[in-house]
Formats: sequence, structure tokens, C-alpha cells
Amino acid sequence: MFLKKGDIVVIGSVALAFVLSFLLWLPFSKQGDRVIIKQNNKEIYSGSINKDNIITTDTNTIIIKDGVVYMDNATCKNQVCVNSGKISKKGESILCLPNKTIVTIE
Amino acid sequence: MSAKQDNRNNRIDIKRVAVYALLVAICLIVGYLENYLSISLAAIIPGVKIGLSNAIVLTLIFCGDTKGAWMVNITRICLSALIFGSPISFLFSLSGGIASMITASVLSRFKSVSAIGTSIAGGAMHNIFQCFAAMIFVGVGVVKILPFLILLGAICGAFCGVLLSLILKKLKTSKVF
Repeated sequence: MFLKKGDIVVIGSVALAFVLSFLLWLPFSKQGDRVIIKQNNKEIYSGSINKDNIITTDTNTIIIKDGVVYMDNATCKNQVCVNSGKISKKGESILCLPNKTIVTIE
Repeated sequence: MSAKQDNRNNRIDIKRVAVYALLVAICLIVGYLENYLSISLAAIIPGVKIGLSNAIVLTLIFCGDTKGAWMVNITRICLSALIFGSPISFLFSLSGGIASMITASVLSRFKSVSAIGTSIAGGAMHNIFQCFAAMIFVGVGVVKILPFLILLGAICGAFCGVLLSLILKKLKTSKVF
């Protein structure tokens, strides 16, 4: 239609960028090893992801089981943290903003 | 060069100012209207826009007025942030806007790259740099959605590029620029 020779080069490089950008996922797809829980910006728990544990704070219940972490219970209204599912990879996190609780994996 | 001649060269062309102002106004209106157009797109990734105002800015570039295009785009970004946005959305659109403008200014110099190719590259670069801005403000994890952003930027850019080549075709017969 309106396409010229140079356009194919441009589209090709954009396609290449699209494919290469998947490589950026690699650092994030590593299995994490430590679970860190912070509440009100203070670290209240830090432990291995492979050690099963149940951590209860005043407001939230976090369960570590079989190498995955999830928010089992929260007193907040929106329940976003409970619905955000299970995490296990490096850099993943569960946030509970109403209770100022952050679960991250390193 | 005499002082008189110099003065004439630097004189602000009133017609040009009026055209720029008109284009900024069109950009703002189009940017507002596309919020409604892109509701279905937002279901995939929140905040996705087609970027129709890009087609307008690119029109200026392809008419040979790169400097004017920069002025219109920066003005548009500042005004739309003041009217619809927040300081953070301003920085996001500024980073994307500058990246896509540099890409478009460079690519439009190549005779073998058409309006569509320029628009696709501009759209992709816009989203890449917006993603980098998001990495600073939101967190490094945002990089995960970069592939989808590149793809969407290219698709939206292609759409704008087709629109742009239709506009350019019409403009050839008129004498606006």
C-alpha cells in the first residue's frame, strides 16, 4: 500500500526489539530464596521461602508453603492482597496498602 | 547582513503561530476524545492510548517543520498535564514524547522510510521510554510488560501512520503549510 523499503527495516527492528525485550524477563524469573515482610516500613519477618510458616500480624495472615507465599487473610475492605494470588519469583511482591503491609521475595 | 534583514528573519510569522495554536488545540481535543476510544484497549493494559495527537505532530514534521513540531508537542504535553493529568503523568508523557520526537525527526530525513514506518518506530520508542520512566517511579518490575508495550506501540503507531499518510495526501492538494 504505502509501505517503502525503509519501512521494512523499521518494522524489522521493532520486531527485534519486541523479541529481545522478552530477555528482560530472565532476571525476574529466578526462584526467590527469602521472604521479607514489612509493616509500617519496619521489617517484621525475614526467612527462607522453603521453610513452611504462617505469619500472623494484627491485621494480616501470610502463609509460606511449598516454596510459594500468599496472603491468606486480611482485615482490609478491598482484599486486593488476598486476591493477588501466590508469589514465588525474585522481585515479586504482595501489597496490602490499607494495612501498610508489604511482602516481597528476594 | 544588515540589522533590518536580521529583524525580518526573526520576525514571528503570525500565520504560523495561528497554525501552531490550532494544532495544539486539535491535539488536546483529540487526546481527550481518545480516552473514550481506548476504553476497550484499557482492558488489556490500563492507560493504553492510541496517541492520535502523534499523527498531528508528525504531519508538521513531514511538512518540513521539525522545529514547529517540537514546539507543538511540548506545549501539548504541558497543557494536557495541566488540564487532565498529574506531575507523574506529565513526566511519563514528556519522556515518551521526547523519545518519539527524536525518533521521528531522525527517521523522517530518510527518503526510504514512509510516514507509516516513522509512526511505528515513534510509537514503539514512546512506549519504551515511558516504560523506563515507570521503572524509576513504580519499580524495576514494570520491565515485564515492556514486550507488550512495544507491540501495542507499534500497532497504535501503524494506525496513526495510515491516518497520517491519508492526511498528507489531502494536504498536498491544499496550501495550509
